[in-house]
Amino acid sequence: MINIEGLSKRYGSTTVVDAVSMSIASGSITVIVGTSGSGKSTLLRMINRLVEPTTGRVLIDGADTSLTPAHLLRRRIGYVIQGHGLFPHRTVAENIATVPRLLGWERSRVAARVEELLRVFQLESASFGRKFPHQLSGGEQQRVGVARALAAEPALLLMDEPFGALDPVIRGKAQDDLLDIQRRFGTTIVLVTHDMDEAFRLGDCVAVMKQGRVLQHDRPGVLLTRPADPFVTRLSGTADRALKLLSLTTAGELAEPGPTEKRTVAAAASLREVLSDLIWSGADAATVLNPDGSSAGRLTVARLLAHGRQG
Amino acid sequence: MTVRRLPALDPLGALLGAVGVAALAFLPFVVFKSNRIVPGEARALLDFLPAGPVFGFYLMLALAAGAALFVANARLRLACALLGVIALAIAVAAAGNALTPPGNKVVRVAPGAGFWVLLIALGLMTTDAITRLRPGPALRVLLLLIFAVAAGLAFASGAFDHLSIMREYAVNSDRFAREARQHMLLAFGSLGAAVVVALPVGILCHRVPRLRAGVIGTLNLIQTIPSIALFGILMAPLGALAAAFPWAAEHGIRGIGTAPAVVALFLYSLLPVVANTVVGLGRVSPAAVDAARGMGLTTWQILAHIEFPLALPVILTGIRIVLVQNIGLVTVAALIGGGGFGAFVFQGIGQTAMDLVLLGAIPIVMLAFSSAVLLDALVDLMNRAAQ
Amino acid sequence: MPKRLKSLLVFALLVLGGMSASQATVVVSSKLSSESVMIGQMIRLLLNASGIRTVDRTALGATPVVRKALIAGEIDIYTEYTGNAGFFFNRSADPAWKELRAGYELGSRLDYEANRIVWLAPANASNAWALAVRKDLARTNHLRTMSDFARWVSGGGKVVLACSAEFANAGTLRSLEKTYGFRMRPEQLIVLAGGETSATIGAAAARTNGTNTAMVYGTDGGIVAADLQVLDDDRHDQPVYAPVPTIREAILKANPRIAQIVSPLMASLDTATLQALNARVQVNGESAAAVAEDYLRSRRLLP
Repeated sequence: MINIEGLSKRYGSTTVVDAVSMSIASGSITVIVGTSGSGKSTLLRMINRLVEPTTGRVLIDGADTSLTPAHLLRRRIGYVIQGHGLFPHRTVAENIATVPRLLGWERSRVAARVEELLRVFQLESASFGRKFPHQLSGGEQQRVGVARALAAEPALLLMDEPFGALDPVIRGKAQDDLLDIQRRFGTTIVLVTHDMDEAFRLGDCVAVMKQGRVLQHDRPGVLLTRPADPFVTRLSGTADRALKLLSLTTAGELAEPGPTEKRTVAAAASLREVLSDLIWSGADAATVLNPDGSSAGRLTVARLLAHGRQG
Repeated sequence: MTVRRLPALDPLGALLGAVGVAALAFLPFVVFKSNRIVPGEARALLDFLPAGPVFGFYLMLALAAGAALFVANARLRLACALLGVIALAIAVAAAGNALTPPGNKVVRVAPGAGFWVLLIALGLMTTDAITRLRPGPALRVLLLLIFAVAAGLAFASGAFDHLSIMREYAVNSDRFAREARQHMLLAFGSLGAAVVVALPVGILCHRVPRLRAGVIGTLNLIQTIPSIALFGILMAPLGALAAAFPWAAEHGIRGIGTAPAVVALFLYSLLPVVANTVVGLGRVSPAAVDAARGMGLTTWQILAHIEFPLALPVILTGIRIVLVQNIGLVTVAALIGGGGFGAFVFQGIGQTAMDLVLLGAIPIVMLAFSSAVLLDALVDLMNRAAQ
Repeated sequence: MPKRLKSLLVFALLVLGGMSASQATVVVSSKLSSESVMIGQMIRLLLNASGIRTVDRTALGATPVVRKALIAGEIDIYTEYTGNAGFFFNRSADPAWKELRAGYELGSRLDYEANRIVWLAPANASNAWALAVRKDLARTNHLRTMSDFARWVSGGGKVVLACSAEFANAGTLRSLEKTYGFRMRPEQLIVLAGGETSATIGAAAARTNGTNTAMVYGTDGGIVAADLQVLDDDRHDQPVYAPVPTIREAILKANPRIAQIVSPLMASLDTATLQALNARVQVNGESAAAVAEDYLRSRRLLP
């Protein structure tokens, strides 16, 4: 869906983004990860032309983004930033309604969409829409920020370190919520972060950037097992990469047919959680259960270890 | 033996009480002048008013002083202060009546230093009590309105007509209305013109930081020019303009009067509005502006819907500063024929008639005070909305 | 758009108006002092009564402002004082100012040549600095002129003079002393801050600290009320400040009647009359316009 061709950004003699080319599949979550100064934010902001490229171009569904007026382009792309950037003098409902109103939706359609988003983001109290940003908690503000970005039903959502300001306790919940939202709306998401764990947790594809270049752009598992650059290895962390690898697959994906075991795990649980559970309980195997209660097979410790030994 | 503790003394009340007692004891309450320019002699209330009402007046003042010292409840303090003010007004009106022989228009009964000090002390006590109640902006405006109506009615009833300042008013009443209109025209007109120019200049300086130093530096320089000098400097070029273009003269653009006054006041008004616009826009959260850009708002839309509303409280504060400043500066415009209440001030100075000076000065003070209250209320309302 | 149209319309009307009647409105102005305003009102009422439309811009401002306005043509007529021409044209040392007629001729010529401003007939009064003594003192010692005063002081008269610092130190007192041959000792002077003659007059009236002589302006309203008598400057030491209406030549040419209308008024205003009229405005607090109208009626100057 998105094709980035030879995109570069230079400020005077400094090259911030160096001839980046990549393709982003529709409906996927792509995480661009790197340390600060790697150019990841600049790359993201060149997609919606908040930063104009020095060379190169961006094609969205085959159309060159430089051909549309920038502000019209941006109304079709959702944009979330770290500080959430909510308008302090507008209510939650008015914030969310910003882009739909810009696009000229009728009032009823805007109101319905605001209602729907408040429900989806679990901001349900009847008077929530009338609150002002300063009356919300950090987590609520972040959710409103994402809701606002999705209000006009964009096909593409850009997120620049959206969970950076949240404390660790709610960050995990926020990340899970994002996965739910993406499944529900099918939006293509490009997310920038410096946190590799977050990248692995969220990304269908992860692009590692260093000094303006993309070192590797692939599925997280491949980054772990076949890193293209020592920097990728370092970023992933060598200490528990086996466990990281295990966390990328769910129990349901690896389950094999076998006898029913006393211990059960959910099909959606990651292999890492299953291994931890088996070690803790002392069992050698567990039955994998689907959400409806039926069996999806079983997993043994041996099979788990074998999977983790792929690296 | 138990030790009785004295009730806690309110520090402001102690100060005001002491000042009030001193004023009553040592300063003249009224001054009797046999004609307009004679210095006049002090008269004590008991000399010419019946003892009963005079002691009633003293009692009211004592009540107010007692409340000021010992009462903590703000509403009670306000009530006692207001009673004191009313008693003061009645006393001075009665003095004017009693000391003026019937039908005599020459003698002047002027409120003395004692009266003014008591008025200021009671006034401070009133405003302090109101402040303690922490009224919201709408309530403050309402209180101002009530005060204005009450004062207007009191003056219209003719109770104060025997006082010297009202005598000056009686002689100058049609001019008073005209100068009042002129004063407000000059103050608000120059403010309006300045806002129209200063807002875009401020926005420009905010967007282009390089311009900021130069523009604000120049405006600072203008601000340091003494007002009389600036009025004088403007007379020559405007006079030349009026001579060259008669239609300009017909529209009031002359070297004297309204035109140089408005131009000078306009120049003085620029700095606070420009500076506050720059500061106000600078305080808008950059995250909100970035998000707005990212969402697809155009530069104008961001300015109109995001930046300007959020900067408005600070900008309005700048406008309030300018308005109060201008109301005062218009006084000087009278020197170059601009009119306004300053005309009375300078005429009074020239004729050594202090009451004429007061006739000009008191409305200026009241106008400035009212403007400050109204605009502060507006800023407060904006702040509450833009939280 | 409507505003520009309006300006255009006004301009067109003006041109038409200018072309038709030569009798445009006359802008009557004055300085800030009550005497200036009063005379200005008198002139205005006289012109109105003779069918000339006027615009009232009395109490315009201080001398420099009003003078600039007249020269620039923003006002048409105001009452100046003859002696002031010495300052306008930088010739204050010229002895002509000390005599009413000579000063009037000189000032009139200078102003016409330089600014095309015409001086109409002056009043026979002087608003210059002068000394005034208490009437009882004047009667006892037969004091009528400055020469009498000088003789009395030199002969040991118990004089106590209240005056301003400027009067005492900037040369006026010295000049009088030199011309009339007397000398004030420091203990005979009470120097007041500021220049308000109302304060000096008040001091003499109340005999504060023994004051029996006051510095005054020749036509001050307070003089009569305080029972003082102005001492005549018989040796012409001080410049004469006689009220004289000054008018732009163009206006006078368009309305030549103005000179005849105003001259009987100015002729009637002598020192005593001005003192009495000023007393009503300054001391009694009557409005200058009301006193002006009253005076005109009483002298049957209004047609």
